[in-house]
Amino acid sequence: MVDLKNVSVAYNKGTEVIRNISLCINDGDFAFIVGASGAGKSTLIKLLLKEVNALSGEVKVNGYDLNKLKKRRIAKYRRTIGVVFQDFRLIPTMTVYENIAFVMRVIEAPRKYIKQRVPYVINLVGLQDKAKSYPHELSGGEQQRVALARALVNDPKLIIADEPTGNVDPELSYEIVELLKGINQCGTTVLMVTHEHDLVRYFGGRTININQGTVIFDDIIEGNKNSMGIDDNSEENSYDEIAEIKELNNLEDAFDESYDAEEFDEV
Amino acid sequence: MKFSSLRYLVSQGIKNMWNNRVMGLASFCVLMVSLLLIGFSVLFIANINSLINVIETKNEMVIYIKEEVKEEDARKMQVSIEKLDNINEIKFVSKEEALDILYNGMKNYQSLYEELENDYDFLPFSYNIKIKDVSKITETVEAIQKIENVDTVYAPYDFANVLTNLRKIFSIISTTVLIALATVSIVIISNSTRASVFSRRKEINIMKYVGATDSFIRIPFFIEGFFTGILAGITATFITWFGYKSMIEALTAEVSMWNIIGVGGLLAYQDIDVIVVTSYILTGAFLGAIGSVISTTKHLKV
Repeated sequence: MVDLKNVSVAYNKGTEVIRNISLCINDGDFAFIVGASGAGKSTLIKLLLKEVNALSGEVKVNGYDLNKLKKRRIAKYRRTIGVVFQDFRLIPTMTVYENIAFVMRVIEAPRKYIKQRVPYVINLVGLQDKAKSYPHELSGGEQQRVALARALVNDPKLIIADEPTGNVDPELSYEIVELLKGINQCGTTVLMVTHEHDLVRYFGGRTININQGTVIFDDIIEGNKNSMGIDDNSEENSYDEIAEIKELNNLEDAFDESYDAEEFDEV
Repeated sequence: MKFSSLRYLVSQGIKNMWNNRVMGLASFCVLMVSLLLIGFSVLFIANINSLINVIETKNEMVIYIKEEVKEEDARKMQVSIEKLDNINEIKFVSKEEALDILYNGMKNYQSLYEELENDYDFLPFSYNIKIKDVSKITETVEAIQKIENVDTVYAPYDFANVLTNLRKIFSIISTTVLIALATVSIVIISNSTRASVFSRRKEINIMKYVGATDSFIRIPFFIEGFFTGILAGITATFITWFGYKSMIEALTAEVSMWNIIGVGGLLAYQDIDVIVVTSYILTGAFLGAIGSVISTTKHLKV
């Protein structure tokens, strides 16, 4: 859950980039955050990632009070969040498998579990043939799917997607949002920052518009899925796939399953 | 941290050495050149010091015993003289030996010597001594003069002063040069590791966003710097071994030059090899590892 109360953020020069924002995003919500460049969207994400601190107000995310969060606890807090960036931010010297496995290494997940979980997530984003590829060998859309897989592999409570469709083809943009919607259907809160109004109009849902650091619109808008000529069944299929993620998440004793992970063996 | 995580991070560090081989090679070269620069300077200074030590041993003082003292009593004085801290070598000179010394110095005055040969009892007993530290010559002479039956002490004050001043000047110059070289090396090494880490700042940034702790991020960089430093140390050892041995061989080939101070004044490589290997590898590993870790700090503030 994201709960902001009268939050303001200012950088060194003193100009307030976020002004007295109050916002509540409940567990399991999907919300678009829209706004022009310089509106304060990126600062809002930095605030949620504890990269910047609030000048005033209350910031609570996933049960953490960010104003009181000590520096040494930031890493643990960030593990409750999956982040997807516009520029993918994959580690260039790691393969697709290693990039995704890395976040599980960070939480010190058992090796056996990593060997099962990572190939599974790679399958879900449709990159099973690219597990051993390096980021530079992938297209923009594929890299973003890896970023998505990385964001959801640790089953975070909240996924923050910062313009995840900004560097991919328009058709792929819809797929990316479909995947995010699917993840959301499984109970994960998703916060997606975008300036692509077509996407917001197509999918609809809770939309928060930020302008000059303040929320000027926060409501649910109707989606219009006929307008872009996308096959509605694709969303359904995607939801089915994502439902499987949840199923695996619940399998605490999944280690003994006969899933063949050998072809994804770590290099 | 779990052992499996530590093993993973160590393997990542080693893998990163290959993945970032271009920047790694630059760091390796800078570390190696810095180690060689300081290493050869230390060896040069050590050799000069060793030569000064050899020259120092050439000092000689003469202690004259009072005329009325009998030989038996004069010989007993050796115990008192040897008790002094700064005495390196001591040799008793009897009246007969004193006469021989006199004769050797007066070969052109044969007739005078013949007269002395019959009556040389006036020659005093003496001790020839060599001291350990010529800078303490005055204190040593004063201490000797306090011993009973000592008449006069002849000491090479000029020789001692020249050597003491030479050592002082050399010590100032060598310390200054070493400090300057160490500073330059640290600046160069820090810049090269900083450049190496800077090229991977995004990587560090990503790790921070996915919830990696600072130590989790630092360990691979530490390992990378550590092994790069060790490799630089090993390479520097081989270059020093080859370079130093060749240099010593070339210098000692000119025998006449070393007759004055003796070839023993130069340090043989086999006498210093353990120190050279240990110093190079430890310094390389330390500078590589610490340099990498410090350079990551700036990028961890995310």
